[in-house]
Amino acid sequence: MAYSCYITFPTTFYAIRAESILKQESTAFKMVPVPRTISSSCGTALRCSCDEIGKIKYTLLQNELELEGFYRLKEEGLKTPTVEELDLNE
Amino acid sequence: MSDIIEPCKNELNLYFDNAATSWPKPETVYRAAEKQMRQVCGNPGRSGHTRTLEADRLIYRTREAVAKLFNVTDPARIIFALNATDALNIALKGFLKKGDHVLYTAMEHNSVLRPLGRLQREGLITATMIPCSIKGYPDLDFLEDAYHCETSLLVINHASNVTGSIAPLEEMLKSAKERNVSVLIDAAQTAGSQMINAAALEIDMIAFTGHKSLLGPTGTGGLYVRPGLELTPLREGGTGSQSEIDRHPESMPERLEAGTLNNSGLAGLLEGLKFIEETGIDKIRDHEQKIRAYLYEQLQEVPALKIYGPDSSEPASTVISFTINNVDSGEIGYILESSYGILCRTGLHCAPLAHKAINTFPEGTVRLSPGYFTTIADIDYLVDALKDITAHVAE
Repeated sequence: MAYSCYITFPTTFYAIRAESILKQESTAFKMVPVPRTISSSCGTALRCSCDEIGKIKYTLLQNELELEGFYRLKEEGLKTPTVEELDLNE
Repeated sequence: MSDIIEPCKNELNLYFDNAATSWPKPETVYRAAEKQMRQVCGNPGRSGHTRTLEADRLIYRTREAVAKLFNVTDPARIIFALNATDALNIALKGFLKKGDHVLYTAMEHNSVLRPLGRLQREGLITATMIPCSIKGYPDLDFLEDAYHCETSLLVINHASNVTGSIAPLEEMLKSAKERNVSVLIDAAQTAGSQMINAAALEIDMIAFTGHKSLLGPTGTGGLYVRPGLELTPLREGGTGSQSEIDRHPESMPERLEAGTLNNSGLAGLLEGLKFIEETGIDKIRDHEQKIRAYLYEQLQEVPALKIYGPDSSEPASTVISFTINNVDSGEIGYILESSYGILCRTGLHCAPLAHKAINTFPEGTVRLSPGYFTTIADIDYLVDALKDITAHVAE
C-alpha cells in the first residue's frame, strides 16, 4: 500500500505561488489535479511525500500563503483511495 | 490586406503615436503572444492539466513582474483588467461609497471623468476639479483648500496624454496622506517609462495599461491595490475556484477578476516587462527625455508652430502638443500621413478639461508622442515635414 499527501488551496493564485516558492527549495513535490475524493476550492493541489508535508506547510506559511486543507490518501491500485484529513497542528 | 486597407501614399509609416499605443514592440512580445495562443492555450485556473498549469504559471510570473515594477512585495495585490480605463472603473466604482467626495485634476482622461460624471449624476458622490496651469501642472495651493470632511479619494493623472506634464506625485501624496485621503494614480502614460514606487510613496491604487510604455499587446492592463484596502468587485463570475458557492472569492487577486484572462496578451506583456527590466527603466526614461528635449528644441525652429505644455527642462513624458496658426489639427495630421508617412494623433485626445486648461478647447491639437525606439533621424524628418507644411500655410 502506498500513501501520498496533498495540500489544497483556496484559489489558483496560491497554488501557483506555492509552486514558485517550493521550486527554490530542495523539496520533491508535484502540482496535480485535485483527486475526486478531496473537496477543494481550487482545482490544482500539491502532492508530496507524507514525510515532507509538515516541512512544506511550514515553508508556505512562512511565506504568508493561504492554505486550505491537508490530506493523506491510501492508494490501492485502481480502487478509490481512502482519504484521511490531517490535522497538522498536532 | 491591400484590398481592405487603403495604402498610404507615403509608406514610410514613421510612428509618432506611442501615447495611444506603443509601436514597435520588442520582437519577443510578438513571439510570446503567438506561442501562448498556438502552443499553450490552457484556461488558467479552470482545469488541472499541464496546459492549464502552464497558463497559470504565466499569469503568476506576469503578476510578479508588475509587482516588481511598482516595488510591491505581494503579487496578489496586482489584478489584471482590459486596459487602464477598465482598471480605473474597477478602482473608482469599487472604492467610492455614497456620500464620498473626490478630488481630481483637470488633466484627467475621460476614463476618470466619465465614471466620476456618472456617479455624480446618480447623486452618489460629489467631486471637485483641481485646476491646472497652462503647462498642465496641478494647482497645489488650490488642492490644499479643496478637501472636505467627506473627501475620500484624490485621483492623479501621473502624466497628461495631451501635454506630457508629469504631476508632482510626492507633494500631492503627502497632502492627501496628511488628511487620511486615499490616492489613485492613473499611470496609463507612465507605467514602464517612469519609476513609480508604490511601497515608498504609500500609494493606495495604481491603474496601468499594458500596451503603451509597458510595450505589451492591447487588451492588457490592471490595477495595484495596496494591502488592507479591499474594493467592492465591479464584476463577478467564474474564477475556477470555489465553484460550488454563489459568492465570488474574497481573496485577491480573484476578488477583482472574473472570467478567462487574456492569456496571449499577458504572455506578450510579460516579455514587454522583461525588456524594460533588462534595459533599465532609468535608461528608458533618460532616452525618452533626450528625445523629447531634442524634439522640443527642433520644433521651436518651425515658423508659425505653437507648442503647448512643458518645455524641455520641465518634468514631462515624451508627449508634445502643437497647433499651426488656425489650421485644423485634423488636416495637419492628414497631411503628415498622406504626404510624409508620419503617424500621429489629432483632436481632443479624450481629455477635454486638459484642452480647456491649455486653451486649445474645442479645436484640439496635433499630438506627437515619440517612444523608446524613436531616433534623432526620425525627428529630423518630422521637423523637415512640418517646415514644409508651415511654408505652404504661409503662402
